[in-house]
Amino acid sequence: VKEDPVISEEEAAQYDRQIRLWGLDAQKRLRGSRVLLVGLGGLGAEVAKNLILAGVKGLTLLDHEQASEESCRAQFLVPVTARGQNRARASLERAQNLNPMVEVHADSDRVEDKPDDFFLQFDAVCLTGCSRDLMVRVDQLCSQRNIKVFCGDVYGYYGYMFCNLGQEHNYVEEKPKLVKPTGNSNDGPEAKKAKVDPNETTMVKKTSSFCTLKEALEVDWTSEKAKAGLKRTPVDYFLLHVLLKFRTDKGRDPDPQSFAEDSQLLRQIRDDVLEALAVSGDLLSDDFTSYCFSEMSPVCAVVGGVLGQEVVKALSQRDPPHRNFFFFDGRKGNGVVDFFGPK
Amino acid sequence: MVQLVGSLRKELADSLSTCKVLVVGAGGIGCELLKNLVLTGFKNIEVIDLDTIDVSNLNRQFLFQKKHVGKSKAQVAKESALQFCPTANITAYHDSIMNPDYNVEFFRKFVLVMNALDNRAARNHVNRMCLAADIPLIESGTAGYLGQVTVIKKGMTECYECQPKPTQKTFPGCTIRNTPSEPIHCIVWAKYLFNQLFGEEDADQEVSPDTADPEAAWKPEETAARATASEKDGDIKRVSTKDWARSTGYDPVKLFNKLFKDDIMYLLTMDKLWKKRKAPTPLDWHQLENSACPQEDSPVSGLKDQQVLGVWGHCQLFQQSVETLSSQLQEKGEGAELVWDKDDPPAMDFVTAASNLRMHIFSMNMKSRFDVKSMAGNIIPAIATTNAVIAGLIVLEGLKILSGELESCRTIFLNKCPNLRKKLLVPCILDPPSANCYVCTSKPEVTVKLNVHKTMVLSLQDRILKERFGMVAPDVQIEDGKGTILISSEEGETEANNSKFLSDFGIRNGSRLQVDDFLQDYTLLVNVLHTEELERDVEFEVVGEAPDKAPPPQTNQEEVNSITNGNKDSAQPSTSSKGQLQFLNKGKFVSHHSSSSSDLKQQLEHGIN
Repeated sequence: VKEDPVISEEEAAQYDRQIRLWGLDAQKRLRGSRVLLVGLGGLGAEVAKNLILAGVKGLTLLDHEQASEESCRAQFLVPVTARGQNRARASLERAQNLNPMVEVHADSDRVEDKPDDFFLQFDAVCLTGCSRDLMVRVDQLCSQRNIKVFCGDVYGYYGYMFCNLGQEHNYVEEKPKLVKPTGNSNDGPEAKKAKVDPNETTMVKKTSSFCTLKEALEVDWTSEKAKAGLKRTPVDYFLLHVLLKFRTDKGRDPDPQSFAEDSQLLRQIRDDVLEALAVSGDLLSDDFTSYCFSEMSPVCAVVGGVLGQEVVKALSQRDPPHRNFFFFDGRKGNGVVDFFGPK
Repeated sequence: MVQLVGSLRKELADSLSTCKVLVVGAGGIGCELLKNLVLTGFKNIEVIDLDTIDVSNLNRQFLFQKKHVGKSKAQVAKESALQFCPTANITAYHDSIMNPDYNVEFFRKFVLVMNALDNRAARNHVNRMCLAADIPLIESGTAGYLGQVTVIKKGMTECYECQPKPTQKTFPGCTIRNTPSEPIHCIVWAKYLFNQLFGEEDADQEVSPDTADPEAAWKPEETAARATASEKDGDIKRVSTKDWARSTGYDPVKLFNKLFKDDIMYLLTMDKLWKKRKAPTPLDWHQLENSACPQEDSPVSGLKDQQVLGVWGHCQLFQQSVETLSSQLQEKGEGAELVWDKDDPPAMDFVTAASNLRMHIFSMNMKSRFDVKSMAGNIIPAIATTNAVIAGLIVLEGLKILSGELESCRTIFLNKCPNLRKKLLVPCILDPPSANCYVCTSKPEVTVKLNVHKTMVLSLQDRILKERFGMVAPDVQIEDGKGTILISSEEGETEANNSKFLSDFGIRNGSRLQVDDFLQDYTLLVNVLHTEELERDVEFEVVGEAPDKAPPPQTNQEEVNSITNGNKDSAQPSTSSKGQLQFLNKGKFVSHHSSSSSDLKQQLEHGIN
């Protein structure tokens, strides 16, 4: 990430409220970062908005899909008049207007068709609406080259985020400076020297290590240890497996227009998946099938907010990243962070 | 057979398209909320905001662009939302929600009200209006990385005012005037000074040395003696600061020498103050001028505002800003007053310079304009993502309400880091109404401790009933058997009473006052407890919330609650109101400013218990 040392007055004014939160250094790193965002559905639009407002150097919107009537309703970047156009291109103008200081590009190619070195120009890659195999492949390819990888999806009331920041992700954390008591008794017990600002802090360097998406998804549940840990494991992890399998098998997500057939298929896939993972079929009741259709706007906002902030944290190398999954259940209002992968 | 429209059951989707909802505020949360509402399928939305768009909003209030700066937030938010949902029916009001036009009848139009506010007064008011209209209210707040959402339903949950919220922290007058020990004391002093010189002069915002400081007296009798002495011959108090400044033609050097040399030298004569404190060192303009080194080249990597000037640099800044402000004042003509605004450069320069000079005098490390602005302007750092998450949660709670599933509603907290249970978003069951809430119980009642001989009717109205008890237009009757009207909300009717004391009306220990706010449909019975023993600088106390009484142990979550109430209510000291000193968290001052960027997280970690 290259840092341009000089922040313009315009940037200082516009980014004032966030510079006061994460500091100037973090903002400079953002300013030098290029991000690839795959998928401009409901979640993708939220992530795009968040990253553009944060002030990254460049954001590439990659999406081969066409804007449908539903996508015009589902996200706020595609104008209602853009039906039939490519979704990335249709989102470009409004995305750019969110912050003219960011270089926003639109690309209508399929991710699958991109050569490996296409990804090398980015500091971070964010995948939404992608199949499991594709995500695993891109994750492997990028993390090897120190490109931060993020995945996320929203299914009705449910959503998740995954990240792989590499085996050695370095960041800083702001901690309060320890104020040593002034033991000087010359001036009496209550004497005060020039007062140390109680708000002084110091930056502590830290490192965090991440596994691949493949490793995260291929946890072995047959071991005794894993079985014991099952009680404290968010069932959302298994729900994710079911939904990813549906996407792989049907080439699409559950569709409200085919509610009956898709619900039935979901239940079937749930049975298959849980059996294949050697975990109890009771983990996921039938309930979920009613609530995982279509990208719900408020759920996209929540997941997109968390995901967007994780990208910002990773690029600015500031503050501990969530490791390595975030699951959101919009029915319960529950948002959990948990690690899946080799210990 | 379940029918879905998008993600939602058909019945719910249908009700969304017909119901009417109100969004109060079109800022950080409001923009995100409006977007979520239209995309979710809400068709009839009214949004109200009194504010206009500022460039510092653009990092998160995404419905606004640079070209919109200066325009009405509600209006532009509506227009932008219509761009991506032309069929939505949105009404925008560029107005204050506290305007009496928005009465109970207005609120009854809606099935749901959602707050997206940044100040407590408006929150209190909307809380009461929703109670009066019996409409569910979704309340929310964000600050930095933290946020929360909750649902308020009359009779079922706590109302916004059921739990006492910490009042704005104020510092004692003698700390500001005589013995500052922290930068914030100097900044508060500088803001007072601004008002004394250029703005509305306020008796509670004195900047001159306080001769009646009890700490300065070697013997207790001295304090009273000093107080009367200064009134007679004190060349400190005899002439108002503004008049004196005017008499010198607002000469910056003369002002400087009085404030930063003469007054400091006077303080030094109050030697008891400095027995156990480091004494201040007066400054001399000409000495500083002569020994000033040429300003080093400012390092280029930081923001210009983040540089810390030297003493002479602040002297020059003081001089420039005084000259600019005094000519602004002159231009405005006779009887004009300036209002301090953090975004007005000379006003901000003035406070930066004056506070830093004072910090230097009192041996504190000086601060950059950037940091002074944070503290003086009560700036709460803000980003898009936190607001996006909270606004998403608001709509999800709203859907539960509209589905008739109130029992499934929750208070949800957004943390910066996952808690011990791995939760980043923490839903909590809603609490039932508090039995002694002075707002939502059937016959609200409070007891207020004050001195009936020293409290003016105007103070009762402004400081106690409006500021402390959140009323907008109070009517007060004395329960004396005659129903004597003490205060009428009708303009002018009881103006003659304003400067009289409560005792003049026969009010004494045990008296009861019936206070009504008809707009809020709210009646409060106030029991008067007369006392001659209040702490210095304290005008009244609400019984049951005395400042020396430790507040109930709070969880981290409740601290988030008080922090995210908005920048207009930060625990930062108010420079305008008097009231009780309130300490958060058993004596620990929770501030929203930091010399470095942030750290609300820090405060959460310092935690309680």
